[in-house]
Amino acid sequence: MNRARAVWTSPWFQPVLVMLVALLVGTLATDFQKVTLALWVIYGLVALSLDFVWGRAGIFSFGQTAFFGVAAYAYGVIGINLSPNTGETVTALVGAVVAAAALAAALGYFMFYGKVGDVYVAIITLAVTLVLLQVMTSTAGPQYHIGKAQLGGYNGMTNIPSMEFGYPGHPGDQMSQPDTYNFVVLLAGVAFFFVRVLLRSGFGRVITAIRENELRTELLGYDVRRAKVIVFTVGGAVAGLAGGAYAGWGNFMNPAPFSLPAAALIVIYVLVGGKGTLVGAFIGTVAVEWLSTALGGILPSSTTLVVGAILIGVVLLVPGGLTPLIGHLVSRIVPSPPRALRKAGVGGAVGGASRGQGLQTQGLVKMFGGLKAVDTISLEFPAGELHCLIGPNGAGKTTFFNLLAGRYRPTEGTILLEGRPITRLLPHQRAQRGIGIKLQVPSIYRDLSVQENVWLAAFAKMSSTRQAEAAVDRVLARIGLVERAGSPAGELSHGEQQWLEIGMVVASSPEVILLDEPTAGMTHEETNRTVELVRSLAKTATVVVVEHDMEFVQRLDAPVTVLHEGRILAQGRLSEIRHDQRVLDVYLGRTFRVAGS
Amino acid sequence: MDQALTIVVSVLASMATLLLISVGLAVIFGLMRVINLAHGEFLMLGAYAVLVATRNGVSLWIAIPLAALAVGVFGLVVERLLIRPLYGRILDTLLATWGLSLVLVQAVSIAFGPATNGIGTPLGSVRVGGYSFSQYSLVLIVMAAVTLVVVYLLFTRTSYGVMARAAIQNPAMARALGIDTARMNMLTFGIGSALAGLAGALLAPVAGVVPSFGQAYIAQAFMTVIVGGPDVITGTSAAAGLLGGSYSLVSYFTTPFIGQAALLVIAIVLLRVLPQGLSGNWRTYL
Repeated sequence: MNRARAVWTSPWFQPVLVMLVALLVGTLATDFQKVTLALWVIYGLVALSLDFVWGRAGIFSFGQTAFFGVAAYAYGVIGINLSPNTGETVTALVGAVVAAAALAAALGYFMFYGKVGDVYVAIITLAVTLVLLQVMTSTAGPQYHIGKAQLGGYNGMTNIPSMEFGYPGHPGDQMSQPDTYNFVVLLAGVAFFFVRVLLRSGFGRVITAIRENELRTELLGYDVRRAKVIVFTVGGAVAGLAGGAYAGWGNFMNPAPFSLPAAALIVIYVLVGGKGTLVGAFIGTVAVEWLSTALGGILPSSTTLVVGAILIGVVLLVPGGLTPLIGHLVSRIVPSPPRALRKAGVGGAVGGASRGQGLQTQGLVKMFGGLKAVDTISLEFPAGELHCLIGPNGAGKTTFFNLLAGRYRPTEGTILLEGRPITRLLPHQRAQRGIGIKLQVPSIYRDLSVQENVWLAAFAKMSSTRQAEAAVDRVLARIGLVERAGSPAGELSHGEQQWLEIGMVVASSPEVILLDEPTAGMTHEETNRTVELVRSLAKTATVVVVEHDMEFVQRLDAPVTVLHEGRILAQGRLSEIRHDQRVLDVYLGRTFRVAGS
Repeated sequence: MDQALTIVVSVLASMATLLLISVGLAVIFGLMRVINLAHGEFLMLGAYAVLVATRNGVSLWIAIPLAALAVGVFGLVVERLLIRPLYGRILDTLLATWGLSLVLVQAVSIAFGPATNGIGTPLGSVRVGGYSFSQYSLVLIVMAAVTLVVVYLLFTRTSYGVMARAAIQNPAMARALGIDTARMNMLTFGIGSALAGLAGALLAPVAGVVPSFGQAYIAQAFMTVIVGGPDVITGTSAAAGLLGGSYSLVSYFTTPFIGQAALLVIAIVLLRVLPQGLSGNWRTYL
């Protein structure tokens, strides 16, 4: 059983299976049917590109048909201009992929580095597709040509050469339709294999991590923006491969793929086939195309109507997509264990020996509109020491914490790590410099196992799987979750989730650890264990704890800074501060007497 | 001088067009956070409503408000049947309204045929020296300005406006205060739909009435609202001004082809520079 599963999830099995099935069907089909079958495989490839960026990386893109279309035009332009002289269309196919990838990369850069939200990505990619529709439709005049290739407006570009593999002076035979089918199947199989290999790499797990919990991934030190641009570009390239093949298949290209119904079809293929399964992209495409061909014979003018109705029906009635219904046919691909991972170059090994200056802030100010949430705070957290920040609600603790973590940018002032300014660094860049951050609400990957959670954290820094695995064992022992290593993190108790997150912070061996209310929502006993855990952290790192729970702070027995109205009110040991009248007035008064009595 | 005047009119008309097609979306998408991909088809329905009314002998000036009303009522029905079960499921809303858009396009082309139906542009044109522009452009400009003011006042100065925004921002609290949030959302969606219907109706005489009427506008409308940012009404009007103005000027001096491309590039580059949209730091009311 396990053997079977291992084979099923191996990168080569499903692509080979898809190719074999396609070639087998090919031997049974007539040449005329192969023309249609080739189109289905091409659409399946576009659906695969969408399932990769949407199902696997969580980026909902309407742009796949745009990349497809741009690539098809690129194939046409290059093919028409070059192939009469060179006798081949390999350059055209490569050019198609490059054009699509370049468009995806550029668009991805603006979207993901601009940090626009998920929904906006959907709308921007759709808008780009529709604007391309308008632009390409308005190229009907004879003045719109690139070399010998007429763009042709709505009527499209004609006389695009079929695929051929010759060389200058010896033009290859233009591919016949049956050969085109076999070649397209080969392209799809190779692209599918490539995508699966990519997902099995360390980078593939980072992609999953981003989909599951983007904030946590960023805080672990992964450059989420860059990873998303890479995913988007690869997705664009796969769609581009389909586009190039399409132009070579039909010898024709018009702006129709940029239209809404075309874009909708790709989404429907993926939904019907089962989002996130990859192989479902091909199954869904064939199912939907077969159905609409059958329906087209009965209701020729209503195909779009049916497509629209299917879309509404699936969303309203089968909200999870059809995956659960075909789940027992297409086994969901389970993330592979870390041992199977290849070395990949995400994140960089960072962090030298501590130089002993720790973390400092100088004149830090944060304004929200007219409100000064943090008002000129200068603080030093010496290397290798534990420090607590306390204060009543609204004192500016959390704002100050978020300034340290890089989630807010200060209005004024600087933050120094080991004497070097980090004020303008983004959270993932700070993480790479050696700051580990634990937010108040547990932010973990609920659907990944405990072990995988810690592995992702370790891998961010080490980028060597072996080192990362060794770190996982150490960390699990330290946070006392060895026995729960295989459980999904979402099944842990609240306290265990907090420890897991602390463990994830520790796994990257940070020099500075920032903890925001680590005991929030914990039982008394869990708090006791947390005290020991936090104290042990301070042996290897500078630890800053923002806390509410006075008893916890007292037991940590560390220097305390009291914040009030965005300023420093008092500093010192808790035993000294408890006698400070101002502190008693604003904050400690009742709370402390109760706790200390 | 005469040329300058016609350029000014054509730039203002572009801005007005963009504002009209976006303002309904600003309410539905900007304010309610409902992604209505059938927005273009709401415009299209407005145009067809005018077509049907004028063919039956109704004057264009009465047909336009009637069309807005009809699409508004249609919006109420869509909200009740399709949008309400999907609040909070943004992606599903997007897919369902996308399906609605496909169905509407196909249904209208079955009912009215796929061909373009023209409605004559009323009022004639004004000659200024050697140049001329259509008087109807002036109607569009005035209507855009009036719509903008009315919508702004509706959402900031009336008790409905305050309650509607409360129902969107914090439904639980609004319900605790005795506001019927479901009814509020339905009404707001209806108002947004009516605005779309109004835009489609106003544009029907200058653009051909075809089933794909909406596709020409929907991308621009979403771009405008996104570029506008969080202060939906003021932001959207600023974005309409910026994008419409640059589209019109670039088109005038080159070709509409480059004008379209310029609009897209400007919008995307702006998102990188101002990810929050134009009104990201404005702190105006709405």
